[in-house]
Amino acid sequence: MDDLREQIELLEGSANLSATIGDVQSAIDLLTAARAKIANDPQTAPLTLAKLQTPLKGMVEQANKDLKPIYSGLNKYGKALDKKFKDKPLPAAENDALSSHPQLINRAIAMHLLREGQFDVASTFIEEANRRPPHPEPTASTPNPYLQEAWEKELADGTFNSHKLQEQFSEMYHILHALRNEHNLAPAIQWARARSDVLEARGSNLEFELCRLQFVCLFISQDEDYMSDSADGPLRAWAYARSEFVPFQTRYAREVQQLMGALAFWPNLADSPYRVKFLNEDAWEEVASSFTREFCSLLGLSADSPLYIAATAGAIALPTLLKLQNIMKEKRTEWTTQNELPVEIPLPPSYHFHSIFVCPVSKEQSTDQNPPMMMPCGHVIAQESLDKLSKGARFKCPYCPTESHAREAKKVFL
Amino acid sequence: MAELTTTKLNAESHLLLDQPLLRMPYELSRRTFKNAQRYLEHSTKELTTSLSATTKQATKSSDPSQTLESIDSMISKMTTLKRKLETLQEEERKLNKSHKARIRHLQDLFEVKSLVDVKYDEWSRIRLARLLVDYLLREGYSESAAHLAASKGISDLVDVDAFIACHKIEHSLREGHRTAEALAWCKEHQQNLKKVGSGLEFELRLQQYIELVRQGHEAAEKGDGEAIRKLVEATKHARKYFEKGTDPELFGRAAGLLAFKPWVEIEPYASLYSPSRWEHLAQLFLTTHHSLYSLPPRPLLHIALSAGLSALKTPSCHSAYTSSSANSASSTTTVCPICSTELNELARNVPYALHTKSIVESDPVVLPNGRIYGRERLKTYNEKVGPEPGWIRDPAGGLNGERWPESEIRKVFIM
Repeated sequence: MDDLREQIELLEGSANLSATIGDVQSAIDLLTAARAKIANDPQTAPLTLAKLQTPLKGMVEQANKDLKPIYSGLNKYGKALDKKFKDKPLPAAENDALSSHPQLINRAIAMHLLREGQFDVASTFIEEANRRPPHPEPTASTPNPYLQEAWEKELADGTFNSHKLQEQFSEMYHILHALRNEHNLAPAIQWARARSDVLEARGSNLEFELCRLQFVCLFISQDEDYMSDSADGPLRAWAYARSEFVPFQTRYAREVQQLMGALAFWPNLADSPYRVKFLNEDAWEEVASSFTREFCSLLGLSADSPLYIAATAGAIALPTLLKLQNIMKEKRTEWTTQNELPVEIPLPPSYHFHSIFVCPVSKEQSTDQNPPMMMPCGHVIAQESLDKLSKGARFKCPYCPTESHAREAKKVFL
Repeated sequence: MAELTTTKLNAESHLLLDQPLLRMPYELSRRTFKNAQRYLEHSTKELTTSLSATTKQATKSSDPSQTLESIDSMISKMTTLKRKLETLQEEERKLNKSHKARIRHLQDLFEVKSLVDVKYDEWSRIRLARLLVDYLLREGYSESAAHLAASKGISDLVDVDAFIACHKIEHSLREGHRTAEALAWCKEHQQNLKKVGSGLEFELRLQQYIELVRQGHEAAEKGDGEAIRKLVEATKHARKYFEKGTDPELFGRAAGLLAFKPWVEIEPYASLYSPSRWEHLAQLFLTTHHSLYSLPPRPLLHIALSAGLSALKTPSCHSAYTSSSANSASSTTTVCPICSTELNELARNVPYALHTKSIVESDPVVLPNGRIYGRERLKTYNEKVGPEPGWIRDPAGGLNGERWPESEIRKVFIM
């Protein structure tokens, strides 16, 4: 990277057009001076012009010469680029499986922009995309993209309704803004309360967390008269708890008790055991991110933008895939399994979402057609392996001495 | 055996997607330089000839007004040259600025050591914005592209102007059925086009010829005297541009056009007259343009996404059964990005990732309904959902689902 930067600094600093422009200006000055002289004394015209020849030619040559450093600077930069990318080919069209579904990509982008809160950009994009629908291009997996399925046609006709989604996300950003920037919990609490049932069934304690934060806010809030040591804050918090905490009494009995216990320590909270719960700077950020996750989950969407995760995973995977492609080209082989990548791609653990079951006998990943089966001993193998091992009779588990029958095995879900 | 997971970041190999980022402004810089060179060469040649002519003339006649006039014209020509060069200098300055910004952006990556670093996350978000702008530009959504680039503050990292210029020419071919803009572009890139042996200019000239012949035939049909003139012009045009290196068969076909009228549907002439040729020209222009500027044939976003979808996809993503480990039903799991609405359909046709080892939560247990969970997660969910001592609920089933006595939870062994 450093030599690239050096070359560019050279181009920017000295090897630019300013020298040449200066030369052109000098030529203009020469001409103007000669013109003035001739206008003044027409008799000198032939002499003046003859005298002009050499210096003007010199200027022209100089101007051309001053272009040279740019030329060589650009060449050097070009060579440095070639060196940098010598073993990094431009990704070819073969790596592209998506050109046959431009509508889906457009939809994914629109949703990405909305969930990032880029509402203006999103509406510009949706408007432009509807005006100029994209042209699908054939790819290896979809050689004939024009035979669209019904849902894809719907998208192509511009019936993708972004308004609802936009409304939802703008609500989300409104609430997040209130949380993060204004430390105002009211809109979030209102949202959570309206969905109290769903959130509860999900095992989410978002509503309680929000209310608890509200309690804490009231508790530590001070009156203008800072030194008065008044118990107004705790009193307000207590009143809030009395009116709002009733529904939480059973589910969060312990937490509610703790909050109430804190009331006893209000004059010197900082030294009390409740310090951690009350004076936590990260509380707002935590609540905001757990709100985002719940909000997106209720829409059936992942909390982080899938487009972001997929593009990042793609960039991590690409070197491995390209290496593989080169090897396959050399050996002139093709993938034997169309629906599975031929190499493992190491990703950071946070990019693993589903549990993966690989049958320890066949080394194949389980699918809907070949699901994982648990034998009575608790060991799990794939359906196909089970069928092969048992051949319809009692058989011994490959991993322990227990014998069982295939029909005793049970389908499990990871 | 390959590692299952990695957090190591190899910046050097990570740059695979970023070659066009540096190539494009480099090619633009070269073009700017070539233009400057051309202008200068052209004007200075003119200057020297007109200077010697003026000198000669001044010695012959004694009328100074003519001499002054030619000097004035020389001055104005040089001033024009200077103005042109200054415009190019402005362009040069902008390009150098974007070169520097891009190198700095890539340099940033070399300072990040791990894929789980927050800095990598930030860098990757900028990259996604770049890829999106690139995609939008290629698809011709220039307004959205400019808007997004501005709102993300990455205008130096994307080539909005260059793409807008490119689409103007493409549009002039596809919709306007005009060759002038594309031919001007060819002239500007003459040397490079020659180097790669591009057939774009020839195809454009052929189209001009076809249009002349068409106009000739149409005029003749109306009994217009123009007809002959048009056809003669067409043959002249052909002689001027098709002489060297033309495929003789094509040459014959082109000549045949003179005899066949556009509305007579006889091949191969019908396809030469066909309006779909404009479509072909527009496409040819785009591919020529992209390869000249080292832009990959397909948007980078497609390439990154294709690889990413496969790397993330698992058989569970399009399964008929709810996955225990990643679903939207409970707050103990996050939704997998491939299962999320945005990408689910897109990922349907790509292969899924290869795994040679099971990846499961530690201490897995199975519920009587066959669902497997990590013991810790099951416990957390059941505590959050409301303590019912001795009973366990399935996080995927929710509060209205079945519940079982804790004793029915069994340990499961996954090797």
